[in-house]
Amino acid sequence: MSRHAQENLASILLLAVFAGVIVLCQDFGARARMIPLPLAIFGIVLTLIQLVWHNFGSTEELQMDMISVHVPDVAAGEAPVAPIEKAPWWREFVAYGMIGILLALIFVTGVIPAAFLFTAGYFLVTRYCSWWRSLLYAAMLTASLYLLFVVALQMQPYHGLLAPLFP
Amino acid sequence: MIEAIVAGLAALLTPQALLFMLIGVVYGLVIGILPGLGGVVAMALLLPFTYGFETAATLALLLGAHIATIWGDSVTSILFSVPGSAKGLALCFDGYPMTKQGQAKRALAASATGALLGGVIGAIFLALCIPLIRPVILALGPSEYLMMALWGLTVIATFSEGSLMKGLTASVLGVLVAFVGMDVVTATPRFTFGTEFLMEGISFPVAMIGLFAVSEMMKLAIKGTPIVDRSLVREESTVWQGVRDGFSHWWLVVRSSLLGLWIGVLPGVGASVAGLAAYAQAVQTSKTPERFGKGAVEGVIAPDATMGANEGGGLMPTLAFGIPGGESMAILLVAFIGLGVVPGPDMLTKNLDLVFSMVWIIVIGNIMVTLIGLGITPWLARLPSLQANLMVPIVLAVCFVGAYATRGHIEDVLVAAVFGVVGYLMDKYRYSRANFVIGMVLAVMIERNLHISLTLYGNDFLLERPIALAMLAFVVVTAALPFVRNWRRKKRALAAGAASS
Repeated sequence: MSRHAQENLASILLLAVFAGVIVLCQDFGARARMIPLPLAIFGIVLTLIQLVWHNFGSTEELQMDMISVHVPDVAAGEAPVAPIEKAPWWREFVAYGMIGILLALIFVTGVIPAAFLFTAGYFLVTRYCSWWRSLLYAAMLTASLYLLFVVALQMQPYHGLLAPLFP
Repeated sequence: MIEAIVAGLAALLTPQALLFMLIGVVYGLVIGILPGLGGVVAMALLLPFTYGFETAATLALLLGAHIATIWGDSVTSILFSVPGSAKGLALCFDGYPMTKQGQAKRALAASATGALLGGVIGAIFLALCIPLIRPVILALGPSEYLMMALWGLTVIATFSEGSLMKGLTASVLGVLVAFVGMDVVTATPRFTFGTEFLMEGISFPVAMIGLFAVSEMMKLAIKGTPIVDRSLVREESTVWQGVRDGFSHWWLVVRSSLLGLWIGVLPGVGASVAGLAAYAQAVQTSKTPERFGKGAVEGVIAPDATMGANEGGGLMPTLAFGIPGGESMAILLVAFIGLGVVPGPDMLTKNLDLVFSMVWIIVIGNIMVTLIGLGITPWLARLPSLQANLMVPIVLAVCFVGAYATRGHIEDVLVAAVFGVVGYLMDKYRYSRANFVIGMVLAVMIERNLHISLTLYGNDFLLERPIALAMLAFVVVTAALPFVRNWRRKKRALAAGAASS
């Protein structure tokens, strides 16, 4: 999907969110919706302007710079800033999947064991280091997290959906 | 006042506060040196640890970490030409050429010295401002604070990079998210979808962890390649050369610091603008501008002094009016809320010692950063590479455990993940995350002051409070100004085009 279409999709999603807020506000009293309702309407107006401008106007018209900082060419021209490399599209889905896997691990095995499994798994899958080093680093991280959160901060850890199987 | 200055320092001289500051500084340096993780991520990750300790110690931890990340950010710009965040960009222009010429130690030391001097000037400014601004703050009522918050919201969106529409939309979204949960004024559950968990509202620290830390890790995972990789150059400079450079360019440091203070005071104009503005100022005032871009040490000192002073300036509107100067100040405000500290008049009356504690934290923190920074500079100059694959799982694990630890609700882990994805998408489509966060923080102030104004002065409260009315006019003018400027610029361009043809 082109960047243009993605931007449109994001705007439509925002319109849906603001419309949802307006619908939900109908159940509130006058005072409770005093700010959210006008704000949601304002949000719709802003998003519509953005949508119209994005499709029918110049995108430059949306760029506002209150402070224009002029860096002389001598510096800007020779600035050795690293070029931005475009990552392959599938990596984005890998990132979403990574978050999903970590969430699933937390809900199934609990917070602390999930940290160990996720870290060790990530090192192994990306081949960052050998399997025994992966396990060692993951164990060190898990022990640190346990000491910091459970022992020092006295956090009551969540044990996960599998906890009832291990009395 | 003198009592508050002494009490502020005494609160920091406890073993807990000193230890927390040292931990904060070391942690901030590590996070700052890792590109992709800036001061905002560092502070967001610390939020779960801000409950249950002394207030001064907690602030020492947070501010110490934040101050350290400023110099940490500069390290990667100088050594690898990879800015840790947008504010480090200006350091690449001359810092990296110095590294390539074997002057890495000198550049790092000059940058640390510049940041120290700028930070101290910023702290002195903050201390001097307090007695001047106190009568103004005490004269303002809820209606004026409401207008101030509205101004903060519009000016932040106006100053943010890119599309104004997107900036404002992000602010609106942030305000709406803050309304999730039980409305304490009307006892109405809003946007809770009947769930008990959402009745307590979205936890600010959890949202910050998601928006900044989780989304940054997603970006790093998507990038996939090593963050930096370089071939080492034979080192031909010393740390002391850099320290001497910092002090010998004292006038440049003063000028840059004043610039940083001014930019810090303006809400929404972050350190990214400050760094570039300082660099431009250094080039324009130099007698030998042709040296810039090829390894001029002034090009390293000026941005760091500006960014160091920026913090003192940024703290002023945050503490006095509750309007954060940028995203890091917004996170600090979240920590205040968690600690039960209310910015505004109370800050300069009941909690004046706390304000001076912060002034002292900036001074002591900057000294600690510089001493540690100078100590590790020779080692940093030999740093060959940094791997993303090591950081991503570790930081993600800390993020989610931290999100859970904030309130002990497992649902908060889900909230952090959702905000992580939202933060990533906002960054991808250029909807400012800073505006979103500042909107979230200011929402509480806006709603509370509106209800109080209505109760005290009735529906026509603006007519009852002429200063508030004048401030509203100012809000409208500030919001309209960029459109007028754009229209004028376009008109000039058209006229120029017509004249040339």
